Amino acid sequence: MDKEIYAVALNNALNEIRNVCPDVSCSFIFTKDNLVVAADEQAAEAIIEKTMHSFQTIEEKARAAIGGLTTLLINGKKGKASISSVNDMYVAMAASEKADLICLQSVTRVVVPTMLRLLEGIAPTPLKLAPSQQLIVDTLSGFFVGSSVEIDPHVLEQWSEILNVKKVDEVEIEAFGGKTTQCKAKEIGEEKLKGKGIIRIPEKTCKSLEVKKGELVKVKPLEG
Amino acid sequence: MPSKNKSKDDIEDLREALQEIRGRKGIIGYILRASDSASVDFEDPSKIGDYAVLAATAFEEGGNMANTFRIGEVSDIILEGVKMKMLFRAVGDHRLSVFMEKTVDHDLLCKDLSLA
Repeated sequence: MDKEIYAVALNNALNEIRNVCPDVSCSFIFTKDNLVVAADEQAAEAIIEKTMHSFQTIEEKARAAIGGLTTLLINGKKGKASISSVNDMYVAMAASEKADLICLQSVTRVVVPTMLRLLEGIAPTPLKLAPSQQLIVDTLSGFFVGSSVEIDPHVLEQWSEILNVKKVDEVEIEAFGGKTTQCKAKEIGEEKLKGKGIIRIPEKTCKSLEVKKGELVKVKPLEG
Repeated sequence: MPSKNKSKDDIEDLREALQEIRGRKGIIGYILRASDSASVDFEDPSKIGDYAVLAATAFEEGGNMANTFRIGEVSDIILEGVKMKMLFRAVGDHRLSVFMEKTVDHDLLCKDLSLA
């Protein structure tokens, strides 16, 4: 079972949970690296991004103070929200104030882990998500520069291993200003630039991403 | 956060109740913070800084998350770690953070602090 089927199964499961517990208004699952694994139809991207950012901020402080977080619960006047650690992931849920908390916690603590375990049992390989990596921009210029970016061979190898593919030859680049683009990727050729966490990006692509040499960008592999 | 109109007497009562529960098994300590002062009581003072930062972050980001999920004004926030649990609640213009072991019944604790 590949990553996509895994995600579809989890998405369907979240939607089904919502059908069974109509008090659940929104739910999604994300990893500790802030990668979204599944989200029900009500979980808008903006909600997910903001929630993960807030949770990450609390989790960082909790790590320093108490060694980490397993559960966060917010009781509001109009509803409740919870984020629970499940295996290596977090399940986020929001529900109305009428929601039965015991039922909600059962869903997050029993049903979802059971479902994850079942999926892992069915899947021949465990869920693997290649993390995005921050790389330093170096510009590629010249007459013969194509549209491909150049990345450290070690980084490309790591991604291939994680994704269990022969080769990663396409990546998504996200600038910190929010601009993103997808490019063909190949290994950095120049020996002296290897192992320095660099991504060489053609000048034209740098302009469209609004990034300059020396700045950081987030890069993640795309499966072909 | 609710209960904006707590009187000075209510806060004094809460302070007394906190001192009473402080000796209970499983209660690690508390912070009761006003805008210009704070009552802090922990057995191990070396962690007070980390606890205070966590409490401030939980109030701020918990409020942001409540806005994101549109669940209204925050009544309380509960955080659980592997061994510890924390209750965060605004009481009038004070912010109460109670740190306890995971085995402590925080609903019962709220009742004992007259916060339920």
